[in-house]
Amino acid sequence: MAFEQKPKEVSFQQNWSAYAFLAPALVILFMSLLLPAAATLVMSFTDVSFLHPTNWVGFDNYIKLLADEKFGQAVANTIHYTLGVTFPTMALGMLAAVALNRKVPGRIAFRTIFYLPVLTSLIAAAVVWAYLYEPYAGPLNNALAGLGLTPRPWLQDPSLALNSLIVMAIWRDFGTAMIIYLAGLQDIPNDVYEAARLDGAPPHKIFFRITVPMLSSVTFYLLIILIVQTFQVFGAIYVMTQGGPLGSTETVVYQMYQTAFAHTEFGYGAAMSTVLFLTILAFSLIGTRIMKRKDG
Amino acid sequence: MTALAQHVAIERRAAARARSFRSYSPAKIVGYALLVFAAIMTMMPFLWMVSTSFKTDQEIFRFPLSFVPDGFEWQNYRDALNAPDAGRQLINSLIYAGGSTISNLVFCSMAGYALARMQFAGRNIVFALVVGLLMVPAQSQIVPVYLIVQKIPFAGGNDWLGSGGTGLLNTYWGMILPTAATPFGIFMMRQFFTRIPMEYEESARLDGASSFTIFRRVLLPLAKPSLAVLGVLSFQSAWNEFVWPLILTSQRDMATLQLGLQLLQSGPDARWNVVMAMATLITTPVILAYLFAQRHVVDGAVSSGVKG
Repeated sequence: MAFEQKPKEVSFQQNWSAYAFLAPALVILFMSLLLPAAATLVMSFTDVSFLHPTNWVGFDNYIKLLADEKFGQAVANTIHYTLGVTFPTMALGMLAAVALNRKVPGRIAFRTIFYLPVLTSLIAAAVVWAYLYEPYAGPLNNALAGLGLTPRPWLQDPSLALNSLIVMAIWRDFGTAMIIYLAGLQDIPNDVYEAARLDGAPPHKIFFRITVPMLSSVTFYLLIILIVQTFQVFGAIYVMTQGGPLGSTETVVYQMYQTAFAHTEFGYGAAMSTVLFLTILAFSLIGTRIMKRKDG
Repeated sequence: MTALAQHVAIERRAAARARSFRSYSPAKIVGYALLVFAAIMTMMPFLWMVSTSFKTDQEIFRFPLSFVPDGFEWQNYRDALNAPDAGRQLINSLIYAGGSTISNLVFCSMAGYALARMQFAGRNIVFALVVGLLMVPAQSQIVPVYLIVQKIPFAGGNDWLGSGGTGLLNTYWGMILPTAATPFGIFMMRQFFTRIPMEYEESARLDGASSFTIFRRVLLPLAKPSLAVLGVLSFQSAWNEFVWPLILTSQRDMATLQLGLQLLQSGPDARWNVVMAMATLITTPVILAYLFAQRHVVDGAVSSGVKG
C-alpha cells in the first residue's frame, strides 16, 4: 500500500515558503553571530581603532599577545576560574539532583530554592555578594569575627579574590546543573535500579556504578555549556573587582573589553577574542574525544 | 512456575521492607540534614539582601551585625525608586526585555517550524548552522557586534555604506536586534514541532490551507507550553542582560535597570541598604515570573536541552 511509505519517500516537495519562515531569524543570526565571528578574525589582522586610519598588520597582534604578560595572566586566571567553577558545580548539581529525584519531603521547595540563584540577574547577585564579602561591615567577616576568627579582605587580597568569585559562581550555577541532571535521571529506566537492589548492591555502589555512568552524556553536555559560559565571565568581575587587586581577577573577556572600549584598540581586542574562541572550541573538541573513548 | 513466581514475590517484598527500613536509617537523616543545610546556605544571600534592604544607615555598620532588621525602613525603597533615572531605566528594561521576548517568540517559532516540518533545499545545512552557532561564545563577539550596530546603513545619520553617524548605538533597536533570535530558541522550537504528529497539518492541508495559516492556526496553539518556556527564558535573559546594554549605550537615559544598579552601587555615596532595596526590586519580577511558569520551564529545559 502506498500509504505505508514514509512521507519522505513519497516525494520531495520543495516548499518555497520555508525560506520566508527562516529569513528573519537567519538575518539576525547572521548579524549577531556569524558576521561578527568572521569580522573578529579579519579585524585581528588589523590595527583598527577610532584614533587613526586602519592598516593591515599581519600577525603583529598575535605576536604581541604571546609576549603580553598581562594577557598571559588573564588566560591563567580564566583557566583557574573555569576549572574552579565547573567541577564543583557539576558535583553539587549531581548530588542535589540525585537527592531530589526521590520522594523527599518538600522536594519541589528544595528544587525551587536551588534554582533561585540561576534566576537572579548577574548584577544583582554580584552586588549582593560584594556586600557579603565587604571587608569591614560585611556579614561574612562579621560572622567570622563573632566566632573569634580573623576577618579577611575577600575581594581585596590578590590570593583570595579569584576564589571568592569562584564560590559565588558555583552558588549561581549549580541549580542549572541540578535541573539538567534531574532531566537525565528521569531517562534512566527504573528496572536497572530495581535489579541492582535485588542483587543487594549498597547505595554508594549503585550511585557510582549505575547513576554516574548512565548520566555520562548529560555530564558531557553540562561540561561543555559550563566551560563555554564560565570562560566568558565578565559581569561579576566588572561589578566586584574590576580585574583587581593587582590583576588577580583579570580574565580574558574583561581584558578584551578594556582593550577595545577603554583603550579603543579594536584590532588587538579582536585578536584576544579569536584566541578565546579557539580555546573554547579546543575544549569542546577534547571533551568530545574523551566522551567517544569512554563510549567505545 | 508458580513456585518461582512466589519466590520472586517474596524476595521483592523483602527488598521493599529493607528499603522502607532504610528510609529511617541515620544515613538518610544525615542526608536530609545536609539538604536542609544546603538550602539555607543557598538562600543566605537572598535573605541578607532583603534584611539589609530594611535596615537604617546606622544598623548597617553596627557590630555585631544583626540578621533581623530592627524595623522596616521603607525609605530605602523610596530612595532606590527616586535614584536618578530609575523610572527611565525601568521603562528601558521593559522595552528591551519585551522587544527581545516578542521577537524571539515570533522568529524562533517560525524558523523552528520551517526546520521541523517543511521540505526545502538546504534544510540540513541550515540546521547544522543553527547547532554550530549554539557553540559560539556570544560575549567574545562584543567588539564586532558593537561595530556592526554602529555601521547599520541609513540609521542614526549613517550613509548607505554605514559610515558618518552612530548607527543604532543608543537606540532600542540596537539593543534588541542582537538578541532578537537565538540559536537556542530556534533549536528548542524545532525540537518541539518535530514531536507533533503530521496528521494535524495534513488534514488542514487537505482543506487547502496555506503554510502560514497552518502554522498560525494549527501549530502555534499547540505550541503554547513551549512558547511559554521560550518567553520566560527570553524575558529573563534580556531583563538580566548586562554586557549588551553596557557597550551599546553611552547615554544615561538609555541605561537599563541592571546598569542602573551597577551605577548605584559604584557611586561615591552608595548606601548598602538602598543598593539592596534596588537589587530586591530587580530580582523579584523574574522570580515571580518563574514561580508562575515553573512547571513549564523545568519541563521545557528537560525536553529541549537534553533529550534532543
